[in-house]
Amino acid sequence: MNEHIVKAYEDELNMLTAECARMGGLTEAAVADALEAVVRRDQQTADLVVSRDERLDVLQADIERKAIRMIALRQPLANDLRRTVAAMKIANNLERVGDLAKNIAKRTIVIIDSDPMVPLTRSIERMGRLVVTRLKEVLDAYTASDLERAMSVWSRDDEVDEHYNSLFRELLTYMMADPRTITACAHLLFVAKNLERIGDHATNIAEIIHYEITGDEAIAAARPKTDPLQRP
Amino acid sequence: MPQPTPSLPPHLPLRPRRGFVAGPVVITGLAGGLALAVLTLVGEAHQAWALILAAAVLAVTLVQARRARQEAARLQAEMAQTHVEVAPGALSLPYTSVLNALPDPVMVISAHEPDDLTGRRFVMVNRAGRRVLKIQREAGLLVTAIRDPDVLEVVDEALFGGLEGEAVYEPGGTQERIFRVYARPLGVASDGAQLALLVLHDETDIRRVERMRADFLANASHELRTPLASLSGFIETLRGHARGDEGARDRFLGIMHVQAERMSRLIDDLMSLSRIELNEHVRPLEEVDLAAAVLDVIDALAPLARDKGVVLEAETPPRGTVSTIGDRDQVIQVTQNLVDNALKYSVSGGTIRILLQADLSAEACVAPRMAEAARLSLLTPDHGPERFAALSVIDTGPGMEREHLPRLTERFYRVEGQKSGEKLGTGLGLAIVKHIVNRHRGGLAVESAPGRGAVFTAYFPLAEGPAADTPDNSHDVAKVS
Repeated sequence: MNEHIVKAYEDELNMLTAECARMGGLTEAAVADALEAVVRRDQQTADLVVSRDERLDVLQADIERKAIRMIALRQPLANDLRRTVAAMKIANNLERVGDLAKNIAKRTIVIIDSDPMVPLTRSIERMGRLVVTRLKEVLDAYTASDLERAMSVWSRDDEVDEHYNSLFRELLTYMMADPRTITACAHLLFVAKNLERIGDHATNIAEIIHYEITGDEAIAAARPKTDPLQRP
Repeated sequence: MPQPTPSLPPHLPLRPRRGFVAGPVVITGLAGGLALAVLTLVGEAHQAWALILAAAVLAVTLVQARRARQEAARLQAEMAQTHVEVAPGALSLPYTSVLNALPDPVMVISAHEPDDLTGRRFVMVNRAGRRVLKIQREAGLLVTAIRDPDVLEVVDEALFGGLEGEAVYEPGGTQERIFRVYARPLGVASDGAQLALLVLHDETDIRRVERMRADFLANASHELRTPLASLSGFIETLRGHARGDEGARDRFLGIMHVQAERMSRLIDDLMSLSRIELNEHVRPLEEVDLAAAVLDVIDALAPLARDKGVVLEAETPPRGTVSTIGDRDQVIQVTQNLVDNALKYSVSGGTIRILLQADLSAEACVAPRMAEAARLSLLTPDHGPERFAALSVIDTGPGMEREHLPRLTERFYRVEGQKSGEKLGTGLGLAIVKHIVNRHRGGLAVESAPGRGAVFTAYFPLAEGPAADTPDNSHDVAKVS
């Protein structure tokens, strides 16, 4: 990173990255805990995730305010401007991820009321683990400014989608076999959908990292994509 | 390392030296004075001579005194030097090397203000820490190394509250690791920064054993119940109304034999899966000839393939040319499970191609080998600079629909509509493959199209890669566990 004449400027830039990293850590924990709550049927952890979401909102607003202040006062250019904008956008994505995690945690209450469905929970756990790993990888790439690692997350988006499609089918089978499971299965379907969207946000963050480092936008057409709705 | 200051007060050993230096000066001075007095007494005539002599004596005395002073200074310098040389050897230890040799990650964190997030920096990390936390630099922002909110909290408590704390930390990645983190306050540094020590202790083994026991019981009780129920059903029939029926007895005993064998295979597979899972985070150390392993498996399975009327086609480099760091038995098990699977789902007249390609990038390993088929990576290794050797097993069996692919490595998962009952599988083969490949830091991918067959590709990092860039890395991994 280039040295700045004004030390405070450099500090402020680092501060933005650091705040984003910390927010990333909180988000990762929220997703992992929400998943844990669903899989282990743990109401307490679910409540914790819901209550901690507010902190993410505060952090996001804070990062946004700092970034805007930075743009107004320091007029960053090129690399610095991209860093500032990237921090702001990543914070936005992370805040959305936090909301989705909170939504997963809220559904735990209904899922706990139903009978345990072991194979289904196992599938959810698999998919969730995959999503948590991707979120972690992309945030690692962000703190290390590692373009290659970010791109490896970006190009593997279809894995999460495949898991989601497979889970969708599995849930349908369950619901058709036993209508009493419909309530719980519908909630699990939303849990899976939320996880899938968290995966999308991880891909978004990878794109932002690509922009921050290179100045170019990642080309969405180059990414391998499977659309279940367009298949015969 | 800062220059250590001599620990002994410098004036102590120098005091006798000063006395020794002063000695000759006094003696020469006294001699000079005495000579002067004698000469004065000898006579007025020689007064001039006496004066000259006295002056000479005085001069000699002065020169001597100066020499003595110089000598004293030299000695003093010598003393000081010996202090510098002696003190570190006797009093300090090579702390940096000691910390680097520790198997547990250790980190020192400094911070000035509780509100200043960028102020929290790691100022020292040992080698194990740099490896586990994947950091290259000796110092940097704390959040770039650890983001976990629980860990950051105990760090803050140690820094600003002076409290000792503990947290559980999972660094993530393809191989699961669990650490217990200990934070300890270290007081204030010379520049006024608060210091704290962070020690990570690997608890992966303990957690694994706990989980393995739970998983094993759950799987065993669930999967063994079916064959067991069938066995006891037949026993009941044989003791009851089929007691005298010779033909029924033979048939039932035949079925019971098959069921008992299935149970024993199932237990074998469950045990081996548990064993593999238990040290999945420990990277194997020996060098394995991949080509030889593959060719051995093909030789072993050739009779079985002949009986089924299936042709095995091998396209591998010669023995001794492709090697990976791994566990030979496990590499063989991967090959065997994949080829076994292909055999199970092949019909008479089919062909199984076994393809071993060396020196591929991770992307090339998962590149399509079957045109217009559904494709999915079942296991992707953590990002690294390594080159891989890829083993593909290509069959011409019934293949699978795309939606089954993500679930193939699930335990006991079976693709619907396929008559797996007569195929004698336990439903654990691919789960075992996945866990072994993960232990080897490799990857696994599948391609399939219904009616056209399937391709399974397992890829392992090449032996040269990891050995060349981090010679002590694999060694450390084994030690940490």
